[in-house]
Amino acid sequence: MTPIITVSDVALEYATKQGPVRALDGTSAEIHPGEIIGVVGESGSGKSSLGLAIAGLLPPNARWLSGEVLIDGQDVRSLDDAARRRFRRRQCGFIFQNAMSALDPTMRLHKQFRYALNGRGDDGSVAELAASVGLPTDKAVLRRYPHELSGGMAQRAMIAKAIAARPKIVVADEPTASLDAAMRTQVLELLVSLRSDLGLTCVLLSHDLGLVLRYCDRIAVMYSGRVVEYGTPELVLSRPAHPYTNALLRAAPGREAPGQRVQPIPGMQTAVRERSERCAFVDRCQRAEERCATVRPDPRLVDDRQVLCHFAEQEVSSVS
Amino acid sequence: MAPRLSSVGSIGMVIGRRALSGFVTLLGVSVLIFVAIHLTPGSYEQVVLGPRATPEARAQLAVQYGLDDPLPVQYGKWLGQAAQGDLGISLITQAPVLDEFVRRMPVTLELAIMALVIAFIFGVPLALVSGLAGGRRAARHGTRVVGALAMSVPDFVLACILVYLFSRSQWFFTVGDFAPLGEDPVANFRAMFLPALTLSVFGIALIARTGRDAVQAVTQALYVTAAVAAGESRWQIIRRHILRNAAIPVLTVTATFAGYILGGAVIVETLYGIPGVGLYVFNGISSRDYTVVQAGVLLAAAIFIAINILTDVLYGVLDPRIGSRRARG
Repeated sequence: MTPIITVSDVALEYATKQGPVRALDGTSAEIHPGEIIGVVGESGSGKSSLGLAIAGLLPPNARWLSGEVLIDGQDVRSLDDAARRRFRRRQCGFIFQNAMSALDPTMRLHKQFRYALNGRGDDGSVAELAASVGLPTDKAVLRRYPHELSGGMAQRAMIAKAIAARPKIVVADEPTASLDAAMRTQVLELLVSLRSDLGLTCVLLSHDLGLVLRYCDRIAVMYSGRVVEYGTPELVLSRPAHPYTNALLRAAPGREAPGQRVQPIPGMQTAVRERSERCAFVDRCQRAEERCATVRPDPRLVDDRQVLCHFAEQEVSSVS
Repeated sequence: MAPRLSSVGSIGMVIGRRALSGFVTLLGVSVLIFVAIHLTPGSYEQVVLGPRATPEARAQLAVQYGLDDPLPVQYGKWLGQAAQGDLGISLITQAPVLDEFVRRMPVTLELAIMALVIAFIFGVPLALVSGLAGGRRAARHGTRVVGALAMSVPDFVLACILVYLFSRSQWFFTVGDFAPLGEDPVANFRAMFLPALTLSVFGIALIARTGRDAVQAVTQALYVTAAVAAGESRWQIIRRHILRNAAIPVLTVTATFAGYILGGAVIVETLYGIPGVGLYVFNGISSRDYTVVQAGVLLAAAIFIAINILTDVLYGVLDPRIGSRRARG
């Protein structure tokens, strides 16, 4: 099967007042049609940048250094303005973390839907769109303004706008972060059902390992602008091959054994300014040896998943 | 929740509530102006009869117009008549003040509307261009300098310059050749344009500056990013999202500007010789024509209050969040 999204060795940085900050430092991933990919990692790990790069939405101060993102074999960066707008309109939807502020506060819901349907939507197709994300279809609800919606409804409306033009890909940036637990499940169930109804490929950026385990086909663990481990969540989360994945699991609440404490990861993720010739995690890694500080690990296939660690075999066997 | 129905009801409620408090304000204004004008040095008797009149003649005149009564009594009489729609007669011309206002009001109204229109025609595009220019320094500093200049040049200075230039030349626009709109619209426009422009300069600057900041803020809102992500074009984003959302703060300063026009009209009409309400009131002040000044200020206050009520209503229309906050209570 050919991948629908191919991210190969992408490096990009943002120009800031303090100088360039590298957000992606050789990120690679292949995503197949119809998959839901969970991208996890701390803030600053580069997962948002990856999402924006895939959606062609990088801010003006982003500088592309190397690598490419192919969507359906097409390099998104090579598109001219009109083609890029068409790509955004028809091929790639984006779901924002804070749905309430991503909806225009002065525009009624049905009008926002109509625009999302490229202005061609009549009452029927607007109602159909609302129904497809589980929103009530009666006029009174569709005539509401965003501030008259609950958080869950706003998120559904956001999803409706993102899928209105029947895109092949949806990038969802923490779509459930602002919702309570019950809502979270509902919204993700919705994404999963849309995936099978519309054949969507979904890139889900998330903090929540539990959600990723339940709903995603594959998980990409990011650290310092690299995908350090990439495989099925069952495998990756039960038998991590990268010390960072392991540390992330120990630091996540709700997974500790009785009497055991949540273990925060010591140290800080450091900002990179140029291509790093060492392992990204070396400063915080308990397994680090000299080689880790001098040789940048290449992606290897270990125990059925891709991993960036010189000691992946030892890490896998230590857990199991 | 039935936002539509209740928001219509709430607009009625808002108007009612505001009209009531406006009425109280109006009463307060009438007291203030009554006291203020009677405390101004130089009374009606002195102005009319001149400095050489005998005290007896002055006293007689004062009795004739009831000016010898204690102030509260005078105020009470005046208020009672005003409540019946009788604003009194001019002490100078003996003509009913109300008739004079009704006759002159359309001229001032035309002037005000022209000034508002000019302010929008120049202010809104300026706001959009400089707001969307974002980081571009030329546009940013350009509007700032022009804005600061336009806001700080007093209208009488500008009026003097324009009167000087256009009264010595034949550049289409005229100074002092007023013709009523109904009789000769072209001559009317030629005479009204310069005074309206003079009044509008402050408004242009106000709208351009506030609008620029509003546009800049809206451009950074997440829903604009979302519109970009949805593949909307630059013009679609401006038309659908930026204009309406940025209009909310602009509305506030437009109300301020409308209030400014009320005061500015007095000066501008006087300098350009436009026979509107402003000129009438100005003459009333010079000749201590108490009834005219009182009525004029009362009228100005009433218009100002009406403008504020209208602004409040428009807020609810432009920004649905305000509308439904009112609906809830």
